Amino acid sequence: MSYNLTPEGRKYLEKGMPEQQLMWILSEPAPMEDLKEKIENFSIALQWCMKNKWIEIKNKELFVLQKMPEKYHLKEALKSIEEGKEISKELLSTLVSRRLIVEERETREKKAEQFVGKEIGALTEDLIVTKKWKEVTFKKYNVESAGRPINIGKRQPYALFLKEIRDKLMELGFKELPEKTVVSEFWNFDALYQPQNHPARNWTASYGMKNPQYGDLPDKKIVDKVKQAHENGVSGSTGWRYKWDAKKASRLVPIMHDTAMSPMALSSGIEIPGKYFQIVRCYRPDVIDATHGVEFNQFGGFVADENITFRHLLGLLKEVAKEFANTDKVRFYTDYFPFTEPSVQLSAKHPQLGWVEFGGAGLFREELTAPLGINVPVIAWGLGIDRLAMFKLGINDIREMFSYKLDWLRSAKVI
Amino acid sequence: MPKIEISYKDLCSLVGTQIKKEELADVLLYAKAELDEVEGDKLKLDCKDTNRPDLWCTEGSAREIRARFGKRTISYKINSGKEKIIVDNKSPIQTFAVNMIVRNVKLNENSLSQMIQLQEKLATVLGNNRKDMSIGVYDMSKVKFPVKYTSLPAEKIKFVPLGFAKEMSAEEILSEHPKGKEFGHFLKETDVYPVWVDADNKILSMVPVINSNEAGNVSVTAKDLFIEATGSNIELLKTALNVIAAQVLERGAKVESVVTISGKNKLTTPEIIPKKIKADINYLRGISGMNLSDKEIIKLLENSNYEVKQSKNSLLLTYPGYRNDIMHARDVAEDILITYGYNTIEPVQVKIPAVGRKDELNTFCDKIADIMVGCGLQEILLYSLTNKNNLFGKMNMPEHQVAEIDNPTSENWSVFRTSLLPGLLEFFVSNKHVEYPQNIFEIGKCVFLSGGEFKSIDKKHLAVATSGPTASYDAIAPLLDALMRSLGLKYVLKKSSHASFIEGRCADIICEQTDAKGVVQKSKKLGAIGEIHPLVLNNWNIEKPVAAFELDVTELFYLLD
Repeated sequence: MSYNLTPEGRKYLEKGMPEQQLMWILSEPAPMEDLKEKIENFSIALQWCMKNKWIEIKNKELFVLQKMPEKYHLKEALKSIEEGKEISKELLSTLVSRRLIVEERETREKKAEQFVGKEIGALTEDLIVTKKWKEVTFKKYNVESAGRPINIGKRQPYALFLKEIRDKLMELGFKELPEKTVVSEFWNFDALYQPQNHPARNWTASYGMKNPQYGDLPDKKIVDKVKQAHENGVSGSTGWRYKWDAKKASRLVPIMHDTAMSPMALSSGIEIPGKYFQIVRCYRPDVIDATHGVEFNQFGGFVADENITFRHLLGLLKEVAKEFANTDKVRFYTDYFPFTEPSVQLSAKHPQLGWVEFGGAGLFREELTAPLGINVPVIAWGLGIDRLAMFKLGINDIREMFSYKLDWLRSAKVI
Repeated sequence: MPKIEISYKDLCSLVGTQIKKEELADVLLYAKAELDEVEGDKLKLDCKDTNRPDLWCTEGSAREIRARFGKRTISYKINSGKEKIIVDNKSPIQTFAVNMIVRNVKLNENSLSQMIQLQEKLATVLGNNRKDMSIGVYDMSKVKFPVKYTSLPAEKIKFVPLGFAKEMSAEEILSEHPKGKEFGHFLKETDVYPVWVDADNKILSMVPVINSNEAGNVSVTAKDLFIEATGSNIELLKTALNVIAAQVLERGAKVESVVTISGKNKLTTPEIIPKKIKADINYLRGISGMNLSDKEIIKLLENSNYEVKQSKNSLLLTYPGYRNDIMHARDVAEDILITYGYNTIEPVQVKIPAVGRKDELNTFCDKIADIMVGCGLQEILLYSLTNKNNLFGKMNMPEHQVAEIDNPTSENWSVFRTSLLPGLLEFFVSNKHVEYPQNIFEIGKCVFLSGGEFKSIDKKHLAVATSGPTASYDAIAPLLDALMRSLGLKYVLKKSSHASFIEGRCADIICEQTDAKGVVQKSKKLGAIGEIHPLVLNNWNIEKPVAAFELDVTELFYLLD
């Protein structure tokens, strides 16, 4: 409910409340009779001065009890009403009883009255409350114009794409593993059974860290078994047959592929049977162009179960193609990864893009799983999603995934 | 993955069967090759297996395919030769050498181009671009035995390099010859260069750069060949030489072994003695997931170029000696599956009752993103790599140690960020022409030096910034407040100073956790908020005021936990 000042209220707002006016001219002792003529509404002034315990009357003379406060709360309340601010109920009822303010409804009638019989633009609160809208006509707007575009809050399209992948993998029953940025070569390569003289570990093909340079190796039990797997083999394997270097394994690198997260998870205890996935920001020293960014995301995962076989791997890849490329048409190619055997490459026929090389997969080698304490088969898969993301986001330069173009971000679709 | 080119006709002739063009792609999968392109007779292949160099040529692919058609080749005959070669290389590079002689090679265009291509792929892929291995082939008629692998001071080397007409010094070769420019860097650290010289002290090649134009210029008219491989890893050299030997033997040439003498060590190469591995038949069946009979498995193995002896469940398998990739019965299992045909196998669904779950921190970040989007902000996503100038210099911050890459491809992306704010400012610079106000946020990872296994730790941060004519503390503080209230977190803003913000318009964001009685239990600084200092705006070349805050989302997550 709103209130407006009455003419009397407005007068007091300008000149001060009667009780204030009285106090301003009061010099004691002052005979009442003298003051009556000097002050309009003297009786009101007197009444409120006494109520405020500012003065007392002795023998028809006024005596000051205490100084009037600098800011008088009733005057301040009037000012607040004028400024449209809210005041306490107590003050409201005082001002209403002194007829200094009135409820707005009375004036609403008047405000609404001016529109009666006219064609109006904006529909006002006054017209609604007073029901005077019945007596006006509404100007017809150009409703076929959308108006000026506005900028709304939005998620970044690529971030949204990655979130959708997470959601989908969760729906498929996979548990997400956390990602890491700087890891040791031990997890990035050695625990994945990649020999230390593998071309992929060559200086030019991978980043190294200047600071911090070396990390710690994990539990000695694991390290010793990984070393053995490389040097002389475990679980019936011949191994790579070379002298394994612990120092090289402790070198730190920016994580190069998402699969590096798998041995970390396998060694720290997983559910069997279990399904896991990871989305990892990866780093490789590529020449930067339309198809190679400074950084890129990879996602993949693994399934560990006693009875899992190569046929299950193909089945999983088919399911993944269905979910992410929306196709039943897949083709499997032979492939090679140092950490899987048998290995396979998945191609899927995307409805718009045609045949797309979609990812690599395989059964983790026993030389990888045995040292980490896993003695059931584990199928592992990794998918390249960049082409799908670019297609979905309508971009043809991979660098645009991390876009600096605000115009594009503001106009991008969020589906 | 090595990419090679082969002739379709040549392949069919070596396989001994006319392979239908429409079946070519499938048939090539037996040789782990993907058919990338067909240009008339020319086939462009992507060799998938970096651990099977024997498949990087027509001869090897043909041999693998032929086995699937029932014709196995498990062993090859190497003739014992009488040539001895002395190794006396005093340079620190390519210290080992292995050698062989090929007689009656009867080269044609196909076999010569395949030999050159295989050699090049071996040196590039297996030899790590000649760092670990380089290979030389010479016309025997132009080489006088005994030859020697030795080293010479750079200034004593003079010969006509391959492809050139004039005699050149080592220095001239390194600065003028294309191969010298490409591979000369390997010789930087040494004064003596490894060389092959013949009995007349003629230089045959300067390793690992270039052969001489005389002996190294092998044409189809060459009758006998001398082939050497030098490098740092003797096993790698033996593998490469065996693969080349198997290649020429496929064409009917004779291979003669050579004894290489290095000090007290003697080594006879090549040596392609068939190898053996045992495999349990049930293990192979189990991996396949198919209900294959023993007979089927044995047939598949034979078609994969194995000789099989069965004793109950145990199989003794014999396979060609040039194969170095078989370490475990798993490798044999793959061969069976390839022979069966990946696209013939019926996939079966994984049926594991599992409940999916997203990483909790990532889910928390999504919630924060939702709140910020609700505040009308545009999310951005940037690289986590940056440079020190962006992180410190432009931000008016004193430099401190950060996680840094040793060999960045560009200084622009050489360190991991410790703050998201510089990226947001860089974003504003790129969008000066776009409508204001610009209200943006990023949630992303920062990397900090720390203790622990990786001597570093990742933390998710949130940074929010507003830029426009009226961007101010008053505009940014309510956004932080909205976030904190939505998360149900108590926080205080404590006046502070920060070199990137204007003095007196900057505060620390401190989170407080209280117990039931309202007593503060935990208090933690999570970030800072303020108006960006005009000096910083000048550094970035930003023309409109910016107000921003950044906070540690990982800490926030653990506070709420």
